[in-house]
Amino acid sequence: MMWCALFSLMSAGVFEDQVLPILRARCFSCHGGTEHSGGLSLETLEGILRGGKSGSAILPGRPADSLLLTMVVSGKMPSGKPKLSEAEITAIRTWIEAEDYQPPVTDRHVTAIFSAKCWVCHGRHRKMGGLDLRTRETIFRGGKSGTSVVPGKPEESLLLRRIERQEMPPPKMQEQYAVRGLTDDEVEKVRRWILGGAPAEDETPAALSVTNDPAIRPKDREFWAFRTPEQPTLEPVEGRSPLDLLMEEKKALVPAAPDLTLLRRVYFDLTGLPPSPEDVEAFDSDKDPGRYENLVDRLLNSPHLGERMAQGWLDAVGYSDSEGGTSSDQVRPHAWRYRDYVIRSFNANKPFDRFLTEQIAGDELFDYRAAASWTPEQMELLAATGFWRTAPDSTYSTEQNFVQERMDVIAGQLEVLGTAVMGMSLGCARCHDHKYDPIPTRDYYRLVAILTPAFDPFSWLPPVFPCLGVGANCDEKTTRYLRPENNPEWRETLAFNAPIEQRVSELKQQLEDKAKSYREKARIEKKLTEVNLCELEAIFEPFKKEKAALEEQIAKEKTRLKPLPLVRALFDLGPDPPPTHILMRGETSSLGALVSPGVPSLLSASTREYRVQPLPHSSGRRLALARWLVHPEHPLTARVIVNRIWQHHFGTGLVASPGNFGSMGVAPSNQRLLDWLAVEFVKSGWDMKAMHRLILISKTYRQQGGQDGFPLRRIEAESVRDSILSMAGRLNTTQFGPPDAFKALPDGEVVTDSTRRSIYVSHRRTQPLSLLETFDQPFLSPNCVERGHSVVSSQALHLMNGDLAQENSRFMAGRIIDRVGDDESSQVERAYLLAFARKPTGEEMKSATTALKRMQAEWLKTLQNDKPAEPLGKRGHWLALATLCHTLINSAEFLYID
Amino acid sequence: MLTRRSFFSRVSDGLMGAALAGLLAEDLGASEAMYDLTPKRPHHAPRAKAVIQLFMNGGPSQVDLFDHKPALEKYAGQPPSRDLAAEVRAVTDTGGLMPSPYKFSRHGRSGIELSELLPHLAGVADDICVIRSMYTTHLAHEAALYIMHGGRIVPTRPTLGSWISYGLGSVNQNLPAYVVLDDPRGPPTNFIQNWQSGWLPSVYQGTRVRSEGSPILNLRSKQECPGSVVELSRGLLKRMDTRHQEQHPGSAELQARIANYELAARMQMEATDALDISGESAAMMAAYGLNDENTASYGRRCLMARRLVERGVRLVQIYIEGQIWDNHNNLRPGLEYACGKTDKPAAALIRDLKNRGLLDSTLVVWGGEFGRLPIAQAPGANVGRDHGPSGFSIWMAGGGIRGGTVHGATDEIGYRAVENKVSVHDFHATVLHLLGMNHRNLVFQRDGRNERITDEFPAQVVTEIVA
Repeated sequence: MMWCALFSLMSAGVFEDQVLPILRARCFSCHGGTEHSGGLSLETLEGILRGGKSGSAILPGRPADSLLLTMVVSGKMPSGKPKLSEAEITAIRTWIEAEDYQPPVTDRHVTAIFSAKCWVCHGRHRKMGGLDLRTRETIFRGGKSGTSVVPGKPEESLLLRRIERQEMPPPKMQEQYAVRGLTDDEVEKVRRWILGGAPAEDETPAALSVTNDPAIRPKDREFWAFRTPEQPTLEPVEGRSPLDLLMEEKKALVPAAPDLTLLRRVYFDLTGLPPSPEDVEAFDSDKDPGRYENLVDRLLNSPHLGERMAQGWLDAVGYSDSEGGTSSDQVRPHAWRYRDYVIRSFNANKPFDRFLTEQIAGDELFDYRAAASWTPEQMELLAATGFWRTAPDSTYSTEQNFVQERMDVIAGQLEVLGTAVMGMSLGCARCHDHKYDPIPTRDYYRLVAILTPAFDPFSWLPPVFPCLGVGANCDEKTTRYLRPENNPEWRETLAFNAPIEQRVSELKQQLEDKAKSYREKARIEKKLTEVNLCELEAIFEPFKKEKAALEEQIAKEKTRLKPLPLVRALFDLGPDPPPTHILMRGETSSLGALVSPGVPSLLSASTREYRVQPLPHSSGRRLALARWLVHPEHPLTARVIVNRIWQHHFGTGLVASPGNFGSMGVAPSNQRLLDWLAVEFVKSGWDMKAMHRLILISKTYRQQGGQDGFPLRRIEAESVRDSILSMAGRLNTTQFGPPDAFKALPDGEVVTDSTRRSIYVSHRRTQPLSLLETFDQPFLSPNCVERGHSVVSSQALHLMNGDLAQENSRFMAGRIIDRVGDDESSQVERAYLLAFARKPTGEEMKSATTALKRMQAEWLKTLQNDKPAEPLGKRGHWLALATLCHTLINSAEFLYID
Repeated sequence: MLTRRSFFSRVSDGLMGAALAGLLAEDLGASEAMYDLTPKRPHHAPRAKAVIQLFMNGGPSQVDLFDHKPALEKYAGQPPSRDLAAEVRAVTDTGGLMPSPYKFSRHGRSGIELSELLPHLAGVADDICVIRSMYTTHLAHEAALYIMHGGRIVPTRPTLGSWISYGLGSVNQNLPAYVVLDDPRGPPTNFIQNWQSGWLPSVYQGTRVRSEGSPILNLRSKQECPGSVVELSRGLLKRMDTRHQEQHPGSAELQARIANYELAARMQMEATDALDISGESAAMMAAYGLNDENTASYGRRCLMARRLVERGVRLVQIYIEGQIWDNHNNLRPGLEYACGKTDKPAAALIRDLKNRGLLDSTLVVWGGEFGRLPIAQAPGANVGRDHGPSGFSIWMAGGGIRGGTVHGATDEIGYRAVENKVSVHDFHATVLHLLGMNHRNLVFQRDGRNERITDEFPAQVVTEIVA
């Protein structure tokens, strides 16, 4: 055994005399005998050097980089026991410092180096110089310049020579390909690997089976959420749905809410908008006993349903119109096709299993590479994979496109999958075995391996289009967009844009010419060279003006450009996906065991196994994931979505931690009800609208508001804005397409001129609309399955002093006067109908008309000083009514549904 | 049905005090957390009550400011080691080792060595502690800023300031707990991401306060409306909301909302007063450099920071436009501009706090996201230095810091921290420690996981710099 031979090299005396006694006394209870917590045994030098799941416990000669020392110094170890004394720590530090033993370097160590620094040019997609550095065989074979490695003979190995001379990776290409040169340590590792005869490590992923997985105890699989739900059987009771019966097992129902309260509730729930006064009156005068059910059916078919439901889904998957991750927060110009796909899917009532499969593996559902021209349905399938393209992604920047940041993108997407679809928090297992749920790091990296055929960390495609300094050509091979060039839409768009682009480039040339003459001037007058445009405009006031004018023209021209029908999709990057290793402590430089694609072993018992069937154009790994998730016996998929539907309607899910059904989540408040709904959902063919209807027509939903009944809830951020526009008669109901622009005002407020629904306004991570942000539009990190809920004074400031509420109050008043004329009572009545979906009571009418008349008088007084052109009386009455409308917009009754 | 999930559920900055606390305790039960800005009890006796962070975007060059390296003279022009070369960002325009063009001398009784670029700081040398052994793990501004503010190289995490206001709340309910004074000339790199609250409730994010014009967004209406009409509207609103609340007995949220409208009105008064520096003496204004075009803008914000801290604001961060310390080229004019803008006001702030007896309880922190390499970038007339994450300097003062000290050291050439290395996590743990908090115990539950500013990174309080 190689290890044994090495013992003699070590200063065994120091270790045994001075260190082992400390370890025995303080550490063996968890890391000795049969206890190998974290996979670590501290009983022998062999065990210490081999290390545990976090890698080697010491680095000989380097105490500062040795995990063992770090842990005892910080007091994190011994866990839950007193810290080691200074003397003990010093003894350990002295020993590590003196230790000169170097563990052997194997394939795995050099793979960590080559994959990050060489494979981009000598790997899956490029084999420059005929060299492929991915396997022992290809490394030994070498390339056009001959053998690259001669085992045992570093001096004869071309590979090492070129690295040592800093010719490789070529300095000129390092920035472009986001790689850096090798450090002294790394060069030394490569040298020692060759010197040691280039030893290999056994790299066959462990075969796992449900019945025999040492990482999972049978008891772990018994946890309620990890077992397939069973539908409770119930004795039918007249006038009570199963939902109500199960609810009543926990708590008595209170009487139904008044009809108009219910009307407003269901409008906001299903459309995110208030009913119009006409809707209120029609409903109020409808004598059909089934009028409520009819209303629910009508709203379920409203085109606004998709917009409302899509918002919750987009939160859950973390949809944004910008990349995030860097300061420039690059815009994602084509992300909206995914947003539209989601809205259309909800409106079309796409079965949820289908909906999920398309998003996880739409590109694997047909051979898009072989299709000459994609049908609109096929375009949708590809757009659906935008599901995987939501996490903050900094990798368009050459400075933030190292393997670490690429793994961050993958981690973001897995967090989305975990919290939005699986109800599991997986993130912990990226660095260490999950502390509370039985998810070992191994299973995390098996999930990573499902994504690496498409998200190859070593042959990465930048996420933006057009490319920014990364790679030379923008095509399917160099960016993560699909280009339907054979589609008529593509050709039409190009033809439309050509003359505009011509004009833009002319304007840019004009700007360049101008800059040139000013640069000349700067050189002569100020002795300045290499002055950039910003510096130039700071020096020359006239240039600043000319530049601004030209830039405005350019911007104006650009707004006329039609977006190319690019698809922001996820797709396999071709055959031969990279190997996936466990990354110890999540560090890209510490490779652990090789893993094969798979799903959390914990869940496999409840459903069929994860099985991959390779496809002609793709690895099939994601399609296998989708099929596994939507298997009718999957313990989580249906529960998680049904729970969020419940949360949508009641504010809180039956499991109050919608992203975590595991042991650290909140136990279900009514598991029988949750399971009944989940099974019912699958039986219905994963019918989303049917599930909404089932809930909405229940007595549970129709309860009156209050502490024991339906919870009082503030309307969501988007509804605040959309409702104000709607009451003002200004809501533009045009659906779909590229998002509308926002603008930042000099005082920092971010607003928009758009009057479309908020879901169609560009959502840039660094510049959310101020109003929406204030009302808890989530900051996506990477996603959000339950919105925050704040009551802060900035909300009051926005509604009191902000332009949106003030301006739209005037529009609202104008439309009311147009409709009902000058009579104050009629005005107040209509304002109440618009804002609260009800008429005022006698007392409210009196209070409001009195206030209105006094506001009129005060406005008139002010106007008499201002003397505007239009008749004072008309303007004064209008402004007073606007103030009244503004007051209603600020009221709790407008902002809350009960 | 008031039972919502304990995290993220209830956030309010209004209706402070015992009344609401009592009401909520009744409604929600002791286990339900209410997220607000009321003062919280620290874990141990604090040394500092407030923090003023002078954030120096771009990466100030340690070997030209705080970390004198005579060896660079000896090695001038020699090519860098392989390790250093592997850390260079812009590989193609790398030059050799480059000594600082500035002279260093010792200052104060403590004899701290500082560059001639910092004459004003030299005057308060005995009050500051220079840490020369900071290091970070990323060479790009954005990622390094994420780790400096949020503890990891990824965006979207709560920033240190959010953790502080989450952990301690504020003693003044009429002002935000966490104020950001950014530069009227432009936002810093990463912009609002520098003070976001991530997945902590939004009440803990930094409030951007402008040093010119209306200080807080929508503090005043942009449209004219007669005062008498506003009064009528408020009266009507109050009647409507009170009636609505009576129909929903026991709803703390509605009560908090009504209080918020009152707070908004009070804030108009107090924020305006706190930021109005016109009452300060001419001598005070001169001390902060308000009479000099170069220092006026930064000085103004330093003075405002002192006024805010005096009124109980927990944390003030002052940012500068863009990244003026990012001297890839034109090292000399760049450094002279940045020092000219900030040196005098920063030193004045320390003196002023000290004279008012506030320095003992106010921690002042000066530093950026990383430092710079000791080699030349783009050698020639416009030579500069590239980013250097492996070793850089910051300074701290007041709030329990041992003044007149230097902690840690870089190697011979000022490239890599080697002695008493201080990681960003150590820095975070130390700031929290001075504020009376243990970084391991300041946790927020998210998806069933205990989140911390230091995550699971090993982090230690730098006890050597604590007085």
